[in-house]
Amino acid sequence: MAQTAIRMDESALIRAAQAGNQDAFEQIVRLYDQNVLRLALNLLRSPEDANDVYQEAFLRVYRNLSNFRFDCSFHTWLYRIVTNLCLVALRKRKVRREETTVIETADGVLDRMDTVEEGRADGDPQRRLLSQQLQTRIKHVLADMTPRERMVFELRHYQGLRLRAIGDMLGTTEEAAKNCLFRATQKMRAALGDFV
Amino acid sequence: MRCVEAAKALPLLIYGEMSFEAEDELESHLENCPDCRQELVRYRALLKGIDETALEPSPELLLESRQRLRQSLVSARSSRAHLWDRVREAFTIRLGPLPSAFQPIGALALILMGFLGARMIPAGSAGRFDPAGLAEPVVSRVKYVEPEGPGRVQIVVEETRQRTMKGQLNDQSIQRMLLSAAKDPADPGLRVESVDLLRTGPESAAVRNALLYALQHDPNSGVRLKALEGLKASAGDTDVRQTLSQVLLTDKNPGVRTQVIDLLTQQKEHRMVGVLQELMRKEDNNYVRQRCQKALHEMNASVETY
Repeated sequence: MAQTAIRMDESALIRAAQAGNQDAFEQIVRLYDQNVLRLALNLLRSPEDANDVYQEAFLRVYRNLSNFRFDCSFHTWLYRIVTNLCLVALRKRKVRREETTVIETADGVLDRMDTVEEGRADGDPQRRLLSQQLQTRIKHVLADMTPRERMVFELRHYQGLRLRAIGDMLGTTEEAAKNCLFRATQKMRAALGDFV
Repeated sequence: MRCVEAAKALPLLIYGEMSFEAEDELESHLENCPDCRQELVRYRALLKGIDETALEPSPELLLESRQRLRQSLVSARSSRAHLWDRVREAFTIRLGPLPSAFQPIGALALILMGFLGARMIPAGSAGRFDPAGLAEPVVSRVKYVEPEGPGRVQIVVEETRQRTMKGQLNDQSIQRMLLSAAKDPADPGLRVESVDLLRTGPESAAVRNALLYALQHDPNSGVRLKALEGLKASAGDTDVRQTLSQVLLTDKNPGVRTQVIDLLTQQKEHRMVGVLQELMRKEDNNYVRQRCQKALHEMNASVETY
């Protein structure tokens, strides 16, 4: 029932936006923009790159919304745009290596990732240290994955999407997405095995 | 099933991506294989640990992204409008200037066209004009449906309309809206904007309480930082200082803790020494420790309690 209501609201908004209603378009953006930004930020691990993907994705939606024919869900269509943009950015980055997030400023050394929020371990200093070490290692493993492995892992693990939907988004089969997920978790297991 | 195949299937089992038969086969293997069971436990712990590395966009980043998009959309719309102007220009037929004697004749022709047009258009079509300027419902949701006699149904629809309000920040209805938006759980970007507007607007007990509430309870550090900015002017008041001391010892964000130290040490008050010493005991962020240490030195107090 709840899902039907959401679908109905969403398609009414899309039709209104297709007819040129700017408020409806803005509401569509608000419905999805936090998830889009979160997905891009987790995949690219850079606030600036995530912002760029956010801009380009919604501008593409704006330009092409009139061509959207409801033959797939709007969510799938939007995520297809976002994941394509992220894949392009990840592939470019593989070529010019991962960027450092640390920059020098007049006030000293700053980490650009401080502008994003991260789960913090509780008061126990030993747990905190372990958690910091684990996070550093995870960041390295994520950087070592191929863009596709990283994308499938991100969409399945953090975004909770089913492999079939991920396959649809990435223009591949469920089986190929399954293999990507397996390789990604294997890499995680190999690199972080001593933590568990 | 052999252990090699089971190892491959474990992540899929955790993510619930196996077929019924394959899952059944794996479960039977796990029942008889302690090594694979152990491996499953390790995988579960690993994937749980990975959850902690999920990043959450800050409200500042969300706000900046929304503002940048708004500007890009404005230019996209205006370039679309320019394109339409050019198309219209291309299809416009231009006549040379007519002698001035023809002007009254033209005006009369226009009046006649209007009069005759009004007579010829059916009366029903006038119903499409919305004199009140009320927009169509933007969001509608079927609340419930109920059969009502043979072939009939009653549907209750919940509709949301959008309304634009404009006014001064000291306008009470505007302030009420901002106070409510400052607590909107769904949208941290909206909360940052609302708290920011409240802090720059006129002071009142309601605004001060909203800022104190946001500082203590908002899950988002960007909102809490904005609330802190708004409390700068009243950082000398006892109730605000009490809240600040509490926030200093409990807030998870080092940026917030640093700002609180600055506000609390604007006045060199001896009872703050205990709070700062308590912070030194538990603080793990080097920068916050340095700031706290500096503040204690300036107050001629020792860094630790003995």
